Amino acid sequence: MATHTLDAFQVIADPSRRQMMQLLSKDSMTINALAENFDMSRPAVSKHIKIMYTAGFISITDIGRERYCTLKKDGFNELQGFINYFDKFWLGKLKNLEILLNNKTNKK
Amino acid sequence: MQPDIKHTWHFNQSPEEVWEYLTKPDLLEQWLMKSDFKPILGHKFSFFDKNEGDHFCEILEIKPVTKLSYSWKKPKMPFDSTVTWTLIPKDGGTDLQIVHNGFTVLKDYNDHNHGWDYLVTKLVERLNSGK
Repeated sequence: MATHTLDAFQVIADPSRRQMMQLLSKDSMTINALAENFDMSRPAVSKHIKIMYTAGFISITDIGRERYCTLKKDGFNELQGFINYFDKFWLGKLKNLEILLNNKTNKK
Repeated sequence: MQPDIKHTWHFNQSPEEVWEYLTKPDLLEQWLMKSDFKPILGHKFSFFDKNEGDHFCEILEIKPVTKLSYSWKKPKMPFDSTVTWTLIPKDGGTDLQIVHNGFTVLKDYNDHNHGWDYLVTKLVERLNSGK
């Protein structure tokens, strides 16, 4: 089954995934323990985990027979990128406005 | 993570003049984007962007020549946010401050979960601690 690579915003757009990340923000959890919190099939839980893993929101470590999920910051860095994008966006626009207003004044 | 984007820019022009550039569509288009902006509280409008996609906005607060605030939403991003402009007369010109903040997950995406804010706070801590 092909798992589409979702961008960070698509990953967090899903309430179940957000809830999983919220649980993981407290502590690492096994996939089984995580699944117990959700009223969905085990394959459905696995699919969400795979999506979060692929997008860099969690890491998975095998300890004994269990697979532990831990929150990871890479996925969140992409969200940070969104903030940085707007930071630059507004600086650029303010610069535009300055040029525009100054040209207007000079023409007077 | 820096949840607020904040810039202050000084202009030699008066607040009245700067205000016109924040509220008149023909002037807004020259430095920001084409829009159907109207300076009316609660007015819903868009900034049109062919490349990046349109921005959907609603005026949340408007005090002529002093303060203008609108919501700011982009398609494909499950976020809402707020853009607030404040004009302060300074040295015969204007200090124009922009704050872009309130990045919150849209309500449509939030019906099953009220803990997202907590999660974001947690992550901010983690990011800041460099772990």
